Parts: sequence; C-alpha cells; structure tokens
Amino acid sequence: MEQKKRGEKALMLAGKVLLVFYTLFAVFPLIWMIIIAFKGDSQMYDTLFIFHPTLANFKNVLTKGSYVKAFVSNLIISGGAVLVSVLVGVPAAYALARYEFKHKEGVAFTILSFKFAPEILIIIPVFTIFQKLKLYDTYFGMIWIYQFIGLPLLIWVLRGYFEDIPVEMERAAELDGYSKREIFFKMLIPLIRPGLVAAALLSFIFCWNNFTFGLMLCGFKIQTITVSALTYISTSTIHYGQMAVVSVIAIIPEIIMCLCIQKHLVRGLSFGAVKG
Amino acid sequence: MAKVTVENLTKKYGKTTAVRNISFDLEDNEFFVLFGPAGAGKTTILNMIAGIGDPDEGRICFDGQSMNFIESSKRNVAMVFENYALYPHLTIYENIASSMRTKAHREPEEVIDREVKRIASLLRLEGLLDRKPSQVSNGQKQRAALGRAMVRKPNIFLMDEPLAHLDAKLRNAMRKELKAMQDKLQTTTLYVTHDYAEAMSLGDRIAVIHQGEICQIGTAEEVYNMPATEFVARMFGDSEINILQGVLRREDSTLKLVLPLSNRSYELPRHTAEVLEASGRKQVDVGLRSSAVRYSWRPEEGYVKGTVYTMEPLGNKVELTVKTEGGAVRLMVPVTETPDVDETIYLAFDVSGGIYFDSDSKEYIVCQKETAGKEGKR
Repeated sequence: MEQKKRGEKALMLAGKVLLVFYTLFAVFPLIWMIIIAFKGDSQMYDTLFIFHPTLANFKNVLTKGSYVKAFVSNLIISGGAVLVSVLVGVPAAYALARYEFKHKEGVAFTILSFKFAPEILIIIPVFTIFQKLKLYDTYFGMIWIYQFIGLPLLIWVLRGYFEDIPVEMERAAELDGYSKREIFFKMLIPLIRPGLVAAALLSFIFCWNNFTFGLMLCGFKIQTITVSALTYISTSTIHYGQMAVVSVIAIIPEIIMCLCIQKHLVRGLSFGAVKG
Repeated sequence: MAKVTVENLTKKYGKTTAVRNISFDLEDNEFFVLFGPAGAGKTTILNMIAGIGDPDEGRICFDGQSMNFIESSKRNVAMVFENYALYPHLTIYENIASSMRTKAHREPEEVIDREVKRIASLLRLEGLLDRKPSQVSNGQKQRAALGRAMVRKPNIFLMDEPLAHLDAKLRNAMRKELKAMQDKLQTTTLYVTHDYAEAMSLGDRIAVIHQGEICQIGTAEEVYNMPATEFVARMFGDSEINILQGVLRREDSTLKLVLPLSNRSYELPRHTAEVLEASGRKQVDVGLRSSAVRYSWRPEEGYVKGTVYTMEPLGNKVELTVKTEGGAVRLMVPVTETPDVDETIYLAFDVSGGIYFDSDSKEYIVCQKETAGKEGKR
C-alpha cells in the first residue's frame, strides 16, 4: 500500500518534470524572438542572454518603412474576410443543416474541396483573373480570395452545430409566437456561439498569417504584414532584430483575440435539453 | 379555447401516405386522444394542426375558420413535444416565460412573474426555476415543457406523448395530475399517446389510428367494449384479448357456437344469436378478454385441457399464457395461484361475454354488452 502510494507520487513528479521541459521547448522560440527584438544588430551574433537592450529596432520598424500601414491593411483584410465569412457562412451552414435540396451533399463537398489544393497551386490562374478583373492590389480582391481560407471551415463547423439543435426547438419557438428572425437571433445564435467563435477565430488566424495571397495578389498600395516582414531582408544584410519586432507585434492581435474570446468557447450547452 | 374541425386530412411523404382521409371534431373543452401504435401517423396529424407541416389534402378549422397555410406562430396553439424541445440556453423560468415575451403574446414583467410562479407551483418546479434544462432530470424537463404550454391561453393544447419518457411511477402521477388539470382548467386538448391506459383514463373521446387511418372514434368504454375491429380490440386491455376462430352451427333450431379447441358447442345469448344469424356468417372470430376465461386445476365438465406456457407475476395478479391444442390463450389469475410452467390447467370460455368479429373483414358484428341494458337482468 505504502509502496504503491510512493510509486504514484514518483510518477506524478516525473510527469511534472516532463511538462516543465515541454513548456521550455514550446515557449523558447517565442522567448528567443522577444530577446532578439531588443538586441542591436552589432550584438546579434555574439551574445546570448547578456546584452544591452535597445529599443532601436522598435523605433526603426514603427517610424520608418511601411510596417504600420501593412499592419492596418492586414487588420482590414483579415477582419473584413472573417466578417464576410460569418455573414455568408452562418446562413449557408443553416441551409445545409436544415433544408433538403438537390445535390446538397455535392454542394457541401464542393465547398470543402476549396481547402484541398494548396494555395500555391492555384495562385497563377487567380493572379491572371485578378489582373483581368482589376482586383489586383485591392481590399475587395483580398477579402474575396481570403474566403477560400475561412469560409469552408466556418460552414462545416457550424453545420454540425446546427444539426445538433433539434428541429423541434425551432418549432416550439415558432408556436410560442417568435418570428423566424427572432428564432434565428434569440434561439439559434446563442446555441451555435461556441462554434461560431472558434471557427471565426481560426479563420482570422489563418487569414492574418497568410503569406502566399498577400505576396502574389498585392503590390504597392496594399501590403500584408507577412510580406512586409520580408522587406527587412536586404541584399547585403538581414535585419533580424527588426524582423523579430515585426513578428512580436504581429502576434499581439491574435493573443488579444484569444483572451477575449476564451469565455465564449464553452461547449456542451446544447446537450441534455433534448431527449436525455 | 376553440372548436377544432379536421376534414379529410391526407399527408404524403414521397410515395408513402402517412395519413389518409382523417376527419374528426374536437368540441370546446374536450380532451381528445389520438391513440395508435408507433408509426400510425399520430404525430403527423398533430403537426398539421400545429402548422408544422401542411396537409396535401383536407381542411383544418378553428371555430369554423380555415387554418390551412396559416403560419404556426399565428395559429395560437400550444404544443408539448415528445422530446421536450426546451430552449437549452435559457433557464426553466425563461423557458416557461418565453411565450409571454414575444410580440404576439407580450405581457408585462409582473404578470410574467406571477404566471410563471403559479405554473411552477402547480407542476412542482419552484426550486428549479434558475436551472438550465440540462441541469434537471427528464421528468422535470417534461414538466417544464408542460409548463411552457400551460402558461398560455391557446386555441388548443397539442400534446405529443408528453409522458412517454417518464418512468412508470412518475407517469402515473403525471397522468393523474393532467386529469385533474384538465378538469380544473377546462381546455381543448388533443393528446397523442401509444399507451392505452393513458388514452382510456384521460380521454373524453379516443380516436384509434392504424396505418394512417382512423379505425374508431369513441369513449373509452366504447372502444374497450365495442371495438370496431379486431385491431382495436387487441390494442386495449392487459392482457391482450384472445381472438379465437369459431364456427356457427344450427342445433335444435338455435344457433350455437363451436370453438375448435374444445369441440363443444356453446349456447349464445339471444340478441347475439339473432345478430349473428342475420349476418349470415358461418365463421366468426370471437374476442374473449381474460375475464371471459375461467380456469380450473382439475378436469371439469366442459373445460379444455392445456399447459401453462409462460407466467408473468404482475404484483396483484399473474398473467398466464396457456398452450392448448387450438392455440395460445392468455388469462389473468389471482396472485395466490402459483402454477409451475408446464403444469396442466383446464379452461372454460364464457362466450356470452365475447366480442364477435367478421372473420374475413375483421370488423365488429356484435357483443353482449351492447344489449345488456335492453334485455335487462334475466
């Protein structure tokens, strides 16, 4: 008995130690990035943890060059793309979950199949199309092409959520005297909120971090942050410090969003109210 | 409350006809039960009255006003769903209050609070009002779903097997409560069930539905004692009615019944014999409820020999299935009898208590009960 307890304790301790190691392993690149952001170019290669911290990199990135503009553009494109995805995706998911129509599964699968091909595979035709339609280097074009990234994910996640909600609940609301619009906003949206929030957040992250579309479909007027980060690689030298600053700033919106949204990510609300 | 008329309702799903040519009337304040086995089309009828599905043919009227193609939110009906269909993200209180917070039935908050509290105390939900549906038991969910319907003053209450998912004890208790409520509130109710005991105890009238068609509409007494078809007879009563094939034979100028498993002829009551005679049938099916079967453990004059096949103790009585040469016969015996399986038993049939059916069409011909009043005590 005594021995068994001791064995359990040892196992738990070992588990904790492993977790600590894993945390270091996982977080270290981030820490490293933050350290680099405060290093001057001269100390970049010959110091590890002991160096003279400087804000020169931040000053450079935020005052010179086009990073601030790229950051705002990125926010507009990613935010706009997610907004459009939600506006289009929620009704689409509802229709796929509730209504019977011809080729329903075919439509659903086609939507999913947009995610199959890597972006790089379709980028050349998309590029020529964008040139012809005068969508090249416009917000509209970027928001449109980003629907490839977020919309299929959103539709498929939300379809599952809508299917989990019993039709009878909607009928009951109708009999209670709610209009269709009220049912949608008062009864359905609260129930799909966890899925909606999670899918929208993921879409935002994928759009925010996207590189290929930003590189190929934007030019002078609009730049995304991932492309803008590239400008710190010049022919003679690579400004690691400034690139680190760019990356550190780039992850801030994602972290803020995750923290804000966390409390909405509760699942399990819709269970148990139907037949138990 | 309204008078509800349903005329020639037909509903098809693709090629299958779920409901065929259904007509009935609900009087004001009547408790009307739709009764039938699973898949008979009961819920389809209910849904059409609620406006959830439109009929392919036929008319639904509330107080003479046609309701076809009117949206369910405008029909002012309250419905209790089989799977409760509570709003999972709202508390029990908000669930019960929900109808009074819509544009159609808006009430001030004081009224809502008073009404919810009143219904909650009636249904014993007081302590649970702040909980979400997922945090209460099935029985409580069921009562909350009933409460959500009961706060309203609708044209008609529609109840789709509201007690089906409760355990037996709670079901009995709720049945009594529903009955008491019905007497007190005076509401027009259309109630769907597949439990014959519920149907008989609650219904002012019962419509028996089979494969999308109405077999019979009548009071509990009528459907039990004078079932329109063998199907109806089989659906009501525990244990299931015994249907035996009989042959009518003329002996000494009176019509007598011969049951194949006893090979003896039985004398028939006068009225029954007359009606059977007039029907001109040679073959009839005789429905004998357990009360019309007598038994003995010793051979007796006129008794048929059989062996006990199964034995089900049901508390105050025991249901026996007895194997005879002519087939199985079910009967109830007092709990004091403790026969062994395969024990020999002797049965006698009281054919005057039988219900007679046409052996081809399986439709009702005659029974003794219908004339009991007329002939008086002999």
